[in-house]
Amino acid sequence: MNDVFLAVAIAEVAICALLLGRLAAGPTVSDRIVALNTMATQSALALLAFAVFAGRSIYPDVALWLASFSYLGAIVWARYLERELL
Amino acid sequence: MKEIAVIVLSAVGLAFSLSGVVGILRMPDVYSRIQCSSKTITLGAIPVLIAVAVGEGPISEYGSRALIVAVLLLILNPAASHALARAAYKTGVPMKGAVRDEVAQRRAGNRGASQ
Repeated sequence: MNDVFLAVAIAEVAICALLLGRLAAGPTVSDRIVALNTMATQSALALLAFAVFAGRSIYPDVALWLASFSYLGAIVWARYLERELL
Repeated sequence: MKEIAVIVLSAVGLAFSLSGVVGILRMPDVYSRIQCSSKTITLGAIPVLIAVAVGEGPISEYGSRALIVAVLLLILNPAASHALARAAYKTGVPMKGAVRDEVAQRRAGNRGASQ
């Protein structure tokens, strides 16, 4: 069962690596924020799966932090864009 | 039995995540990419989290965190996507292949009525 979670973690990191293409190539700032937001979600999932594989119970808290505060970051970026402060 | 459920749920979640990422890479404009990022990525994340909760038990220290992350994703991902789409529209990112823009039409109509 632990090998399944390791495979999930590796696949999520590979998906993050694919998203780096959109992060580098995005024509506008909004594209980059979308890619960054998705990368945060995927890395939270990867951390959670890796925590189950490694048996370390401190990593799920980091995943919880990533999943909640990355959206706060996205909303703050959206406010900056809306008020034309960039 | 539990292991088969974990494998199936993980495979479904990874397939949805991969299709969402292909959408983010290939879609022609920001709004389509936001749609991929909000719906498909949420639907790809939830089965993986349920797989963790099934494999480790929902009351264990991994499963409980997985369920909290699932609830947070369901609440926060639409909110962040909505804020991003609104900000992208207000900064004037063009829509590709759109046949009508109802917000701009309504604004133009209000301006015409007031004058």
